[in-house]
Amino acid sequence: MESVHERTILHVDQNAFFASVEQEANPELREKPIAVIGRGRTVVTTASYEARAFGVKTGMTTWEARRACPSIILVVGNNAAYTRISVQIKKIFLDYTPLVETFSIDEAFLDVTGSLRLFGSPERIAHLIKARIRHGFGLTCSIGIASNKLLAKLASEMQKPDGLTVIRPEETARVLETVPIEALCGIGRKTQRQLALLGIRTCGDLGRFPVEILRRRFGVIGERLVMMGQGRDDSPVVPDEEAEEVKSVGHSTTLDRDISGRHDILRYLLQLSEMVGRRARRYGVAGKTVHLTVRYADFTTFGRQQTLPLSTNDSREIYREAVRILDTLVLEQPVRLLGVRITNLCHQREQLPLFHHERCRMLATGAMDAVNDRYGDFSVTFGSLLDNEEKGSFVISPAWRPEGIRNVDVK
Amino acid sequence: MEFKIDKETFSRALQKIQGIVEKRNTMPILSNVLIEAHADRIELTATDLEVGMKSSYETTVTREGRITVSAKKLHEIVKELPEEVISFATKENDWVEIRCGKAHFSIVGLSPEEFPYFPKVNEESLIRIEGALLADMIEKTAYAICFDETKYNLNGTFVKATVEDDRPILRMVATDGHRLSIAEKEFHGAVGPEMAKGVIFPKKGIFELKKICEEATTQELALGFMDNSAVIKKGNTVVVMRLVDGEFPDYTRVVPVANDKIVTVARDPFLHSLRRMSILSSEKFKGIRMELNGAQMVISSSNPELGEASEELEASYSGPPLSIRFNAKYLLDVLAVLSESEVALVLRDELSPAIVKPAAVDGFTAVIMPMRL
Repeated sequence: MESVHERTILHVDQNAFFASVEQEANPELREKPIAVIGRGRTVVTTASYEARAFGVKTGMTTWEARRACPSIILVVGNNAAYTRISVQIKKIFLDYTPLVETFSIDEAFLDVTGSLRLFGSPERIAHLIKARIRHGFGLTCSIGIASNKLLAKLASEMQKPDGLTVIRPEETARVLETVPIEALCGIGRKTQRQLALLGIRTCGDLGRFPVEILRRRFGVIGERLVMMGQGRDDSPVVPDEEAEEVKSVGHSTTLDRDISGRHDILRYLLQLSEMVGRRARRYGVAGKTVHLTVRYADFTTFGRQQTLPLSTNDSREIYREAVRILDTLVLEQPVRLLGVRITNLCHQREQLPLFHHERCRMLATGAMDAVNDRYGDFSVTFGSLLDNEEKGSFVISPAWRPEGIRNVDVK
Repeated sequence: MEFKIDKETFSRALQKIQGIVEKRNTMPILSNVLIEAHADRIELTATDLEVGMKSSYETTVTREGRITVSAKKLHEIVKELPEEVISFATKENDWVEIRCGKAHFSIVGLSPEEFPYFPKVNEESLIRIEGALLADMIEKTAYAICFDETKYNLNGTFVKATVEDDRPILRMVATDGHRLSIAEKEFHGAVGPEMAKGVIFPKKGIFELKKICEEATTQELALGFMDNSAVIKKGNTVVVMRLVDGEFPDYTRVVPVANDKIVTVARDPFLHSLRRMSILSSEKFKGIRMELNGAQMVISSSNPELGEASEELEASYSGPPLSIRFNAKYLLDVLAVLSESEVALVLRDELSPAIVKPAAVDGFTAVIMPMRL
């Protein structure tokens, strides 16, 4: 196994990405507290640094944001712009190393170990990337440099905005000694609470803690926790194209208002099924299991699934199955969110149907897809969807990726 | 009820109905076998309400009566009993006592009153038909039956009798929407109104029918229809199956008539090559590619996770070069039921249905839809 000490990893984090894109696009927003929000009834997705100074945070409702900062400017997010810029920024990264792992729309890991002879020091690469992003898009980012992903991410968090932080191997122990454990990527509030009960508050505490006790408490994770406390992390930077195979294709939508009428629910299910079917067809996959997710007005969320005899990516079949699942449920409350997903995927070339009418349907679907590829989603669609006010994806999912089947066109 | 029976007979009788009893535990009585003893015979009946089977066996009955017990458990017990003669008796409250040598079982049954009604068969209304003929035709079509229960009209084999050129022809058709299989044979006997119109035998029933056709006892069986069910009698066994209530698609329109590119290839090498090439295709990456150019057929497959494979085969073909992709399983299923040494593929283009049949004889046609290239 190659020695982990020899690796050089960069973690690049775009500062207040969505808000910065908006401020760059509209000079009137610059140096003002702004918050990017979603469409309809949604929450703050990103606040500018000016707004953060007032205590505005991601996840606040618009009402809470206004209370924290009365002068805040709310901007409805332009997701298409964010995804477009994210794709372009990834292209910059690829000029320095092929080992680029997209962590989210505004974060990426770069393994530059093999590129150092070409570009000199990792600091130089970081400066080049920062300069190109600034000149190309007017955006700033924070970069962390370290010997592994865990420390690189920690480093990039240390200086914001527009930071560049290096954690050298010989400094690791000293730096981690006082870092609170919750600053580590992978330690959530629950783990933090459990560790606090053991008197562990900083990474230094965690790294020194007897591993047997943690193993008894957390199972296999226990060992990993101690390693994290010591700043050790062997996980490789996995380039997006080698990332684990996609296991599902799904879409969900939070409705503008809670609905309970079957007719209304069906319309959204058809729309979601078409989105799922279309993306599956575009990437040549079909699913054998259809999942339906329902979230009630009180946020209770549950899902049911049904496995089909044959894999499908036909929107109508996905819809039919979703409706069948819906009909097994007794809805106790109005519905806030609906999701349709196919799993048990296979990559297959299409088996043509024998019967003429089914073949016509398949060809018609192909023709619809071709039109929608050219003129935009839902240019040609089911008549019953014409009344749906807004069709398509309006939220960038955490699983969004710059290319491949996880790439969803968002509006 | 009380009777004595030899282990071999009883075990085989119970074995025979295992395929009929309901496996899902929806109605407990359907997991049971009804045993009736009268005069010098016992009768065993099982049903899942779609397919029912009743067989009778000669034995020594000392006390007449009826009972139902779990078909699976009773079979397990009988198989393991130590000696040749088994005595079977009912006790109060639907208990059953089985004695054999020094082994003793007391098992609880269910009241025979709850067992579904099994129709009485009027033997005079049945037509005689050759068992081996049916078995062969079922074998040649049943592989194509659709298992998707939402397409209920395809969940069986369509059976139709016609008179063509003064000869009565029996035809069986099965399809799953991707491939279709037609077997036809001349038969001896009358064509009743149901068969003339065409009926759909349910999937489960057709497999049971094949089993009893293959039993060596007698060659001939009797077939008839009553109350939307088919009745088959062979020797000591009667099978009743509810016909699929649906319209079978017009298969004649599916069989292509404009296919003009004929390839003949030896069955065995073709089958083995397909098997080899399909090793790389999987649930995830189905399909093999077939390229035709003169006397050469090249079969190839590829799988992004594993690699690729190709093989050349001798074939006879005089049309223009053609490349077509199939689900290998569909071809293998057809080749597996053919015994002829040469098979013919009759093609049109890479997106049209293909015919697979024996090169030299008629009576069998498979239609397979290709995959998109």
